[in-house]
Amino acid sequence: MARMEIKNLMKRYGQTEVMRDINLDIKDGEFIVLVGPSGCGKSTLLRMIAGLEPISGGEFLIDGLRMNDMRPRDRDIAMVFQSYALYPHMDVERNMGFSMEIRGDDKIKRKQRVLEAAKVLGLENLLSRYPKELSGGQRQRVAMGRAIIRDPRAFLFDEPLSNLDASLRVEMRLEIARLHKRLGATMVYVTHDQVEALTLADRIVVLEGGNIQQVGSPLELYERPANRFVAQFIGSPTMNIIPVSPAKNGVTLANGTKISLSDMLDLNAAAELGIRPEHIDVLPYGTGDFDAESEVVEHLGSDTNLFVRVDGIGPLMVRVHGNVPNQPGDKIGLRFQLHNTHIFSADGQSLGQRITLAA
Amino acid sequence: MIANTHTSVTSGETRARRSFYWRYMVEPYFYLSPALILIGVVMLVPLIVGISYSFQSIALLKPFDTGWVGLENYAALWDDRKFWLALENTFRWTIGSLSLQFLLGLGLALLLNTQFRGKRLFQALVFLPWAVPTFLSALTWAWLFNPVIGPLPHWLHDLGLLSEPYNILGDPDLAIWGPITANVWFGVPFFAITLLAALQSIPSELYEAAEMDGASAWQCFTKITLPFLAPMIAITVMLRTIWIANFADMIYVMTGGGPANSTQILSSYIFTTAFRKLDFGYASAIAVALLGLLLIYAVILLFVRQKLVKV
Repeated sequence: MARMEIKNLMKRYGQTEVMRDINLDIKDGEFIVLVGPSGCGKSTLLRMIAGLEPISGGEFLIDGLRMNDMRPRDRDIAMVFQSYALYPHMDVERNMGFSMEIRGDDKIKRKQRVLEAAKVLGLENLLSRYPKELSGGQRQRVAMGRAIIRDPRAFLFDEPLSNLDASLRVEMRLEIARLHKRLGATMVYVTHDQVEALTLADRIVVLEGGNIQQVGSPLELYERPANRFVAQFIGSPTMNIIPVSPAKNGVTLANGTKISLSDMLDLNAAAELGIRPEHIDVLPYGTGDFDAESEVVEHLGSDTNLFVRVDGIGPLMVRVHGNVPNQPGDKIGLRFQLHNTHIFSADGQSLGQRITLAA
Repeated sequence: MIANTHTSVTSGETRARRSFYWRYMVEPYFYLSPALILIGVVMLVPLIVGISYSFQSIALLKPFDTGWVGLENYAALWDDRKFWLALENTFRWTIGSLSLQFLLGLGLALLLNTQFRGKRLFQALVFLPWAVPTFLSALTWAWLFNPVIGPLPHWLHDLGLLSEPYNILGDPDLAIWGPITANVWFGVPFFAITLLAALQSIPSELYEAAEMDGASAWQCFTKITLPFLAPMIAITVMLRTIWIANFADMIYVMTGGGPANSTQILSSYIFTTAFRKLDFGYASAIAVALLGLLLIYAVILLFVRQKLVKV
């Protein structure tokens, strides 16, 4: 059980500063997901927490104790690596019990503990196998087993599911969620997959360019992104961004359509409007805010993705729930759901949103 | 599947289906024949001729006394005090050279596997002794041990290891250490380079995982590094043992087997017997004995390797 505090954390490689002023409080038992595009520094941050990467500046505390100069083995944290990092010359049992072997724990106790963990993960029949004889999902489980055995204060996951195929990923995702529920331990999880982030996290930390862009619950990030980066990174399909100019009590789109957003503050700085594909309504031709022509139609069964072109604005993506009979070339009308409209300034900051939550 | 059934015969081709015997017993060897012939000509024939010499009397100084003598050469070998002495020296020479070469080579490899300034330069320097001709390094080391021109006896004297600065190559009790020192200097690069290559192939995450699991540096070394190096260690140690046991150049140049045969190893004894005493039959008998010993050694080591290697 651990509470972690990250204060003004900084990372430098030689002269290059890759992370600056990272501040984050992780509550005891919280599931935190660090998410961002590759190269955003999420893995570096995780490795600094683990102690595998030296901290260049600032402080990192666990339960109030300064960890900056502590070796990984003294931090009492377990980590699951992207490549699993199983010891190829040891069988599953020895891999899982390695930390106990290192501590010099009694053999019988070790065996018992490994068996317990193996049962939880469904590995009890594989204990005498070597890693090369296991499938990807089984290796993943062994790596998790190795972490569980130690009963650490906190778990770190470094993109643990990225080497698995899609269906296995869903399964292991559930397993990790279950594990968190069962152990109640603090977990920090790195991924570039926003679905993993949205499904697993208590709170998501969105990183980009070595800076924290936003911290919040999955719904907060989806509904109230702090800036354009978060808005586009969270949510699938990606949010549409349309250039606008400020107008009286609203904004004007490039094709002249006026969108009224009267109760929104400070629209003078408005430069772009963001609207998620699922927040655009499709209406009969001529009855919407403006008209569009559909170019590509993707039928996903549960949803339909329409790639449409609007004169004067350009391409937009619209997602409609269920199956709609639209064909490429169809002319349709579109209307924005105003309470789900986001307005961004020229530097990408959110100016707020007309959101009416259960009002 | 299709190739095996031979159901389709193109027009104009009247090829009968080849017999099982031809297809499985003869044809493969036909394709292998270039390699087999080459191996036979350069390896097997000389080997058989050499072994057959050991059952003959072929001494150039007794040209009228040639012919098959059965096991006479081996019987003489059994009673030859110099042979047993050379065998003992071979063990001392091989084990002494090999263990020092291995330990120093492993140490160097571990050092070279860390990050430091001028790493490339050091890597090149470490490799250097390997590139120096044996003859040259043997001569240089012989001079280094010579108290008239070399510093080593004086240093050893100053360290209190020698009562006075004399040439250890002339002392029957110590002479073997001269060639061993030269051989260690010469052979360390081989271990350093091969083990460094093996070290670099160990994924770094394994060390990180072990670190997270709480392993100390020593535990990382014994539980990860060594098991990973084991296959390479087994194969290099085997190769080097055979090379060192057969490696007479250093000894021949530095001491010529003396003083009083105290540095005579089997391979230098073979050389002296064959080319100084011109007794090829007896030399072949010694060579066959050496071959037998090395074969037994190789079999044991390969067996141990199989037990050790799990990766």
